[in-house]
Formats: sequence, structure tokens, C-alpha cells
Amino acid sequence: MITGSLLRRRSRMFVALLAVAVGATILSGLVTIYYDIPRQMGKEFRAYGANLIFVPSQNGSTISRIAVENASALIHGNMLGITPYRYESGKINEQPFMAAGTDMEGVKKTSPYWFVTGEWPTDDKSVLIGQKVADLIRLSTGSVFTFSGTDSAGTTFNRDYTVSGIVQTGGSEEEFIFMSIDELDNAMGTSNEIDVVECSVSAGEAELQNSADQINESVDGITARIVRRVAESEGTVLTKLQALVYLVTVVVLLLTMICVATTMMAVVIERRREIGLKKALGASNKSIIADFLGEGIFLGGCGGLLGSALGFAFAQAVSMNVFGRSISIQPLLIPITFVVSVAVTGIACMIPVKNAADVDPAIVLRGE
Amino acid sequence: MFWRMVKGALFRQKGKMLMIAVTIALGASLATAMLNVMLDVGDKVNQELKTYGANINVVPKETALLDDLYGVGEAGAPIKYLKESELGNIKTIFWAFNIVDFAPYLETNARLKLSDNEIKLVGTWFNHHLDLPTGEALNTGAINMKNWWDVSGDWLSDDDAGYAMIGSLLAAQNNISVDDVVLIETPTRAKELTVKGIFNSGSDEDEQIYVTLATAQDLSGQAGVVNRVEVSALTTPDNELSRRAAQNPKSLSIKEWETWYCTAYVSAICYQISEVITDSVAKPIRQVAESEGEILNKTQLLMLLITILSLVGSALGISNLVTANVMERSREIGLLKAIGADNAPVSFLILTEIFITGIVGGVGGYFMGLGFAQIIGQSVFGAAINIKPMVIPLVAVLLSIVILVGSIPSIRLLLSLRPAEVLHGR
Repeated sequence: MITGSLLRRRSRMFVALLAVAVGATILSGLVTIYYDIPRQMGKEFRAYGANLIFVPSQNGSTISRIAVENASALIHGNMLGITPYRYESGKINEQPFMAAGTDMEGVKKTSPYWFVTGEWPTDDKSVLIGQKVADLIRLSTGSVFTFSGTDSAGTTFNRDYTVSGIVQTGGSEEEFIFMSIDELDNAMGTSNEIDVVECSVSAGEAELQNSADQINESVDGITARIVRRVAESEGTVLTKLQALVYLVTVVVLLLTMICVATTMMAVVIERRREIGLKKALGASNKSIIADFLGEGIFLGGCGGLLGSALGFAFAQAVSMNVFGRSISIQPLLIPITFVVSVAVTGIACMIPVKNAADVDPAIVLRGE
Repeated sequence: MFWRMVKGALFRQKGKMLMIAVTIALGASLATAMLNVMLDVGDKVNQELKTYGANINVVPKETALLDDLYGVGEAGAPIKYLKESELGNIKTIFWAFNIVDFAPYLETNARLKLSDNEIKLVGTWFNHHLDLPTGEALNTGAINMKNWWDVSGDWLSDDDAGYAMIGSLLAAQNNISVDDVVLIETPTRAKELTVKGIFNSGSDEDEQIYVTLATAQDLSGQAGVVNRVEVSALTTPDNELSRRAAQNPKSLSIKEWETWYCTAYVSAICYQISEVITDSVAKPIRQVAESEGEILNKTQLLMLLITILSLVGSALGISNLVTANVMERSREIGLLKAIGADNAPVSFLILTEIFITGIVGGVGGYFMGLGFAQIIGQSVFGAAINIKPMVIPLVAVLLSIVILVGSIPSIRLLLSLRPAEVLHGR
């Protein structure tokens, strides 16, 4: 009987199915986005650079590489980049400058906001220089300069470098000369002397604090500090964004559910004559309600399944467009969408069917 | 006669028409709320991003190259300053409205009596009241600019001459706690200050002492000057034009220059700030400026896509219902045709009815939508969403299209039926 009624009224049922499917699409699509926002946006916020730094603890003046490795193993969350810095002073043309030894590949990850005119250095003899250094001694990309300094044994060294790029940040980085840390180690004659390590970790503030506490407790020679400006603000903005999507989702869902319900009601109301006829032929109220409910649940189920698939496709499209990354599926959402669609359509059918079933068949059949 | 029929139809099927009106109202309110929120989300998120602190740094031209932090500053080189009296000018530039906050800093080296290490003493405004030449007034300073500081004790106020705030690392090294008195010595002067607060900022500020600007000027012997100013401004994400302008504003054509100058690009705001402060250079802090643009663009795109989804959803909901409503009136249409009505007046009659219902629902829905938008604005951002008049025509056009799309195919279908068959109930 259910299949018969569905097939007979194909176009009308298609309308109802479409309504349910759209509702379910919105439900599964928006909820998927809502759950994935912190992860996706969190990655975008890493453009602000390092949110955790290691500095030497009070009794030491530098950090050893082993300590850095031990410490980075203790970090929870997704480590996006880790960059060591070693600072040494030296002279170019008898003017004092600071050289920073670092790992260029790491810098690209922990400081994505650096604006480099020219190329990133690829070998030990090419360096990046800050804009202010470039202005002061009139260096441009491709020019060669001599950097002189005193190594750890007290002897003077002179080394030639080629400028491969000029870096602009608007901050104090513009006052440094950046070279590979191995090169600086060679020049100074000592290795294993790192001054600061910058880490960019994709994790919440509490998680960061946790990692920092653990490192401070169990790794000797390192004090881990959270860059509060970045970590705290990221937390604030992310919370607000998620709250925004949450509220929007709730409002959209409420309205869509009401829309689905009214459509279902309209579909059922126009079948009052059918109900009247059935009653006149001796059907009980119960069996009529069961019939319609079966139909509604079937529609809700189909729409729900269709909607979960469409919703996931939508969330995926949004994620690819906005963030350029694929979204993670919430497997739990499929049964939830299914149940909600069935419940909404079921309830939406129940109300008008019950009303119609309670009325005297003669009146319904007369068309009043 | 026509209007009597319309009126009749509207009142005879009160229940159904009410249902259509309610659905249209819901759809319209959804569209209104989403469009309003979407159009305003850029501004709101931009405001939130200001918690990252300043995105523009104003320093004197030809400032000493190396920070004395690293001990390699050129000793004896004359240090340049900015004039404190000119700071109010920042709020008079073309984009004054976009300047959220700013704070000046005067830095000087000092010595704590307890230890012999040299430390950095910074004077700033905390919550400074400023009367502008334009007649406006504003409060600005470090309390707003450094809102990520975790302060135990209290923030300073701008007349706390004998007080200081101390960075957490410095306090821990010297066992200083709130309400202690510390003796600060500079090469020329010495002063006793009471510690009012200890702050944790997670950066090298934790090894510094913050005092009011007046105290720092007094201790360093430099009256009426500051070293640098940090400005927090609302900006538009960079594009090709602003990048070219940032390299050299003079390379633009006059028209491009005007577009650039009159858009809130960070480079344009920097340019305008250096115009009003004598001998200054304003530079974007790329870490903040760049990332802000990125995040802003992403958020707006995200909201746009969500809005489109909800619009499609409500459009389908409405047109479904309208179709269902038209279809069930097959007997009425059959009757009208049987007694000799033409197709055109019949379609017109039905469309008029639905449009009247639609207008009632749409107007109701618009105001409901404004309510929803404000609920979202208040609970998420704690500020009202700006209502854009542009949303009204958008929603109106959208609703008309949806109603037409929902009703015309079904009307055509009904008109093609033979009256006798319809009336017979097939």
C-alpha cells in the first residue's frame, strides 16, 4: 500500500523528497563544517608564526640540539615547523651587525609572513639579509660582502657571502643577516649552541600550556614559553568564529526543519479525501496513521541518506574552496542526519493525519 | 470582480495561505539574517583580530640601526625621537575612523638597585585621554594594545607617577612581588617606584619595566618625546595594487593612486600616518598585517558559501510549498475554465494571490531576520550587526524569483489539462 501510494503520486512525492533531502543536506553539511572549523582555521592562524619558543634555562646560556629533540618529542598537537636560531655578532665594513644562523626550510614554515625579495638561500655561501642592513650598507641581491668576526677560540675570521634575498617583516628581523646554522657553527668553531628555538604548533592554548609545562619539568637546559600574544589571541578569535558558525547552523537548521515540516504537512493535507475514503471503507484510525507514517518515514529515510551524501559533498566543496584542504568526515553524522530527517518528517505527517483521521469521513469526502 | 475573487481566495483558504506566508516568512528571515551577518562579518572579525595587537609601527626616520638589546648599538649615535604633541594627528588622517588604538613608547636603559644587570624601562600611555583638534575625544593606550598580557595586581593608570609594572621574568629573578618598592637608576636620575602589577606577556617584554610616559621622560631626561608608536588599524586585505604601492607609491598612475589612497590598505594608512607625524616612517608589521588579510578573506568566503547554501535551502522550501498549493487547486482552475475563463486571467489571479501572501510573509520575515542577525551579533561578537539596506532589494528579488519558479510550471501544467477531466477528479 505504501509503495503503491508513493508510485501513484510520483511528482508530489518527489517534491516532498526534495524538501527532506535539502533539509538533511543543510544539517550534515553545516555540522561537518562546524566541527572542522577549529582544525582548518587553526592552520590558517599558523600564518602568525611561532606560538611556542624554547629559550635556555636560567643556568645555561645556550641550548643543545639533543635537548631540542627531547623537548620537541614532548609537544602534543601537530608540529608544523621548528626552527633553531643562533645569534652571533660580527662586522661588515667595520660596522657591527648580528648574524643569525638558522634552518631556512624551518623559517619558511614558522615565519610564513616573511617577504623575501630575491631568492631563499640554497647553499651555505648565500644568505638572506634584513631590509635595514641592506639599506645601511647598500647591498642588493647578488652582491657579495665580507663578514668578519671572532670565533670561540679568539681568532678572527673573514668569510665572503652572496646576498640571495632581502627580507622584510616590519620587525626586528630586518636588522639581521640570516645564514645556515651549520655555516655559522663552522665560522664560530663551535656547534650545538642554539639561542632560541621557534615552534609553530597547531594546538589549543591549554594543550600548548600542557606541553610547555612538561618540557620545563623533564628536559634540562630548556625553558619553553608560550608566545601569549599569538596563542591567546588565536584562542579568542577561533572561539568566536566557531560560535558564529554554531549559531548560524542552529538558526538555519531550525528554519529548514520548519520548512520541511510545512511542506510535508501540505502534502498530507491535500490527501484528506483519501483518508476520508479509507475511513468510509472501514479502515481504523490506527491503520490510517500507520500507513501515512510508513510513507513519511520512508521519505524521511531516503531524504536523510541522500542529504548526508550531498551535505558531505557540500562541506567538501566549501573546504576545498576556502582552505584548499579536504575535510574530515564525522561518521556519526550519517545516522544522526538519518534519525533527525525521519523524526521531522514523521512528526510533520502525524499532526495533519491525526486531525484528518479524527474527522467524520462524510464531511471530509464532501470536501469541507 | 478580480479583487473580489482574490480576496475570496485569500480568506476562504486562510489556513493554507497562512502556511505559505509562514514558510515565506521563515525563508525571508533566514535570507535576511544570513545576508546581514555575511556582509558585516568582515568588520566584526577584523575587530576581533585586533587582539593580535598593533599592525603598524611608527618610528623616526633614520633611526639608530641596531637595537641596543643586543649590545651592538652604535654608541654615541644621536637617537631620533617623535614628538609626543603630534600623536593626536594620527586620529586626523583620512582613515582616522579605522585607527582602533595606538600607544607611544619611550625606552631607556635603567638599573635595578637590587641587581646590577641593565634592564629596559619603557614608558607608555595606559589609558590616555586625548582631546583631538577635530573636537573629538578618545581613550587609548597599552591596556587596549596589550590585551593578551596576564596581569597579577593592577594595570597602571596614566597619573600613577610613582608606580611601575614589572615583567614576570624580571620579577622572578629579583624576587619582586606586587606592592614592593624598587629603586630605579638611570645614568642621570634615580627614582623609587612601587610595583603595582606584574605581567606575563610571553615575549621579551617580560624582562622589562613599564611606567607611565611622564615617568620615563623624567627618568631619561627627555621631555615631550617618544621612541616609537604602535598603531592598531582596521585594514583591507592587500591586493596587487597595494603591493605595488607599498614598494613605491610614485609608480602609480593618478587614478590608481587615488584608489589606493582612499582604500584602507595597510600601506595607505602607513603612508598617511607618516604624512602627519614629522620625520617619521610608518611600517606595517607583516606578521600581523599579512595574516589578518588571509584570515579575513577565508572567513568571508566561508560565510558566503554557508549563506548560499541556506538561501538555496529556503528557496527550495518555499517553491515546494507554492507548487503543492497550486497543484491542489486543480478543481478550482478546472471550474474557472469550464465557465469560460481564459488562461491569462486565471494564471494572473493565482499569481496575485500568491504574491500578496508572499509580500505579507516577506515583510514579516525581514523583520524576524533582523532579529536573528542581532541575536547572532550580540551573542558572538557582543556588538550589533550593522543593518545594510542593500539586503531589502536582494531579499525581494530572491523571493519573487522563488515564487515565480515555484508557481509558473505548475500553473502551466494545470492549464494544459482539460476542464472536464479535472472536474471529474482524475
